[in-house]
Amino acid sequence: MNRHRGRLGIIAASAVLVQATLSGSILAQDATPAATPGAGVTVEQIAVVTPSARTNQGWDQQAADAVDSVAAAAGIEPVVAENGGYDDITPILRDLAAGGAGLIICHASGYQTVCPEFAAESGVPVAVIENPGAVAPGLVADIETQAQEVAYLAGVLAGNTTETGTVGVVVSGEPPTWNYMTVGFAEGLKAANADATMLYSVIGEAAYDDAAGAKRVTEQQLAADADVIFGMGDGASFGMIQAIEEHNAAEGATKAWFIDVIGDKKVEHGDVLLSSVLFDYTGIYTQMLDDLAAGTFGDIYTMDVQNGGVRLLDLPEDLAQETKDAVAEAEAAIVDGSLTVSAISDAEEMKAKVAELFPE
Amino acid sequence: MNGSGVPLAAFVTAMLAAGLVAAVPLVLAALGEAVGEKSGLLNLGIEGMMLAGAFFGFLAAFQTGSAVLGVLGGIAAGAVLGLVFAALTVSLRVDQVLVGLAITIFGGGLTAFLYRDIFGGQNPSLNVDAPRIAIPLLSRIPVAGPAMFNQGVLFYLAFALVPAFAFVLARTRFGLQVRAVGEYPFAADAAGVDVTRTRYLAALIAGSMAGLAGAFLAVADLKIFQVGMTVGMGFIALALTMVGGWNPYRILLASVLFGLLRSLGNGLQILGIDVRTEFITMLPYIGIMIALAILAGRTSIPAALGIPYARGRR
Repeated sequence: MNRHRGRLGIIAASAVLVQATLSGSILAQDATPAATPGAGVTVEQIAVVTPSARTNQGWDQQAADAVDSVAAAAGIEPVVAENGGYDDITPILRDLAAGGAGLIICHASGYQTVCPEFAAESGVPVAVIENPGAVAPGLVADIETQAQEVAYLAGVLAGNTTETGTVGVVVSGEPPTWNYMTVGFAEGLKAANADATMLYSVIGEAAYDDAAGAKRVTEQQLAADADVIFGMGDGASFGMIQAIEEHNAAEGATKAWFIDVIGDKKVEHGDVLLSSVLFDYTGIYTQMLDDLAAGTFGDIYTMDVQNGGVRLLDLPEDLAQETKDAVAEAEAAIVDGSLTVSAISDAEEMKAKVAELFPE
Repeated sequence: MNGSGVPLAAFVTAMLAAGLVAAVPLVLAALGEAVGEKSGLLNLGIEGMMLAGAFFGFLAAFQTGSAVLGVLGGIAAGAVLGLVFAALTVSLRVDQVLVGLAITIFGGGLTAFLYRDIFGGQNPSLNVDAPRIAIPLLSRIPVAGPAMFNQGVLFYLAFALVPAFAFVLARTRFGLQVRAVGEYPFAADAAGVDVTRTRYLAALIAGSMAGLAGAFLAVADLKIFQVGMTVGMGFIALALTMVGGWNPYRILLASVLFGLLRSLGNGLQILGIDVRTEFITMLPYIGIMIALAILAGRTSIPAALGIPYARGRR
């Protein structure tokens, strides 16, 4: 019996080892000289750490592509450290610093703590997602995405498109960005269609690549009469799309639509894609490089509807004009400041807000 | 958040179907794992084999436009890794845990590399025909009928393989040999059973079934390949094999329970039940732990599991 327990212990330990190994860890040999506030630094290499694959046409790819684009424009070297996972990425950061990275983009809200700590320890400037409290002159910049604004527009679009009056939101986790967007979407939906029903499902804790799980959840929402799905999934989004395409192919089914988050899947899935929320990081990454050179790095960089950092993918040409007008009207109101969308990052507060908007 | 107007019958059907379909790759992979473990081979490479099955199945289907060839490609990929596992652990007697982990890492890395190399930044979908087959009369049973009897070929195959595996393991000469080399290989050897050959065959079956499970995901269910798309299903199948006590029927029950609990969690969210997300996502794991606690003591681990065999050496 003891031998069996020992063996099971080995299996458990091995599973942990796999997880740790997949997270990546190679010791760094030295560190990049520290950036000093006020003194300009010329960056020769810009790096980004993404939690998942850079080819997921989602959260990770948008940052990786933006880093490539900005580096090409600036004539510097891009480095993409993908599949960093959601655990401690310090070994990866050390590798990047040892490799000469002069700016590291920590592209996950899960890196909010580890990256500022690493910057303080190593002196290598980093940018974090949604952690304004960590901002430090010369060392730590924060990226704030007013994603709720563009999600509001998606909500208006859904509210005007639904025929069943039921709209679904499927998320692959509950990170701050997804929570901001869920609230924004709910407010937009409510404003456009006060009688609508909104369903909300989480695939898993960090199910960003769980396309199979996403498909099952979406199938259940479609069976619950949803005909517009707003999916925040990354790789998991492909499972949502598959569910909608199969649903639409069934005889007598109400046509369902998908509003994606990040990426343009029109070519492959134009038959179900109503629109997509697009994030464009090139502007703020370029600004960060400029600020590093000017010695003014270490600020909050915001992407919003007004500066075009976040926007909806061009709507289908055959969409009803009144729907296009409703979206354009809401966008104008956000830009001129007459409409403010709630910004809620905490999952429980987000749910309370949605429950308030869509009571039983 | 407001699920009060949900059409209940259709919703319950979808929930049941989602749970059962979610169980399919787990059943397939766990059945193969059960044969491997019964023979004394602890295969922690099941996740990597599933990924290889998913990728090569997807690739074969993408290149040929045939779902059948895709599934065969997936099985072949799993089988090759199964043989690699056997060569290293049975012939060379390398530690099974290490080889299994290495295959998992290798499978993940290889498929990610090849997928990007072949498809670049694209994420193409398969354009293959994987039709549903409605069983006459049964598929018309209200609620459960469409969920259980209007599915794809691999769905039915997975459930049909359960009694087949049970029969082979319990009632055939090969099954007896598998159990013998997993319990007491020295005695089996003395009785004339070729331990090496038996373990190779068991590893081949385990790899093939893991490959089939991966091919089910990529070719039949999702029609896409995603880097890391098995998201730990191989390890869940490994756990379900043990929870099921290496008995195909119990493995089926454990897998279906896992799938249904996951589906139930999704359903509770859609119905607007005010339960914390963390609890909902924990639900299937809690169910499995309860099942494990109930079954504890009623199953016995194969005595030679994880132990390499060398004639004349004890």
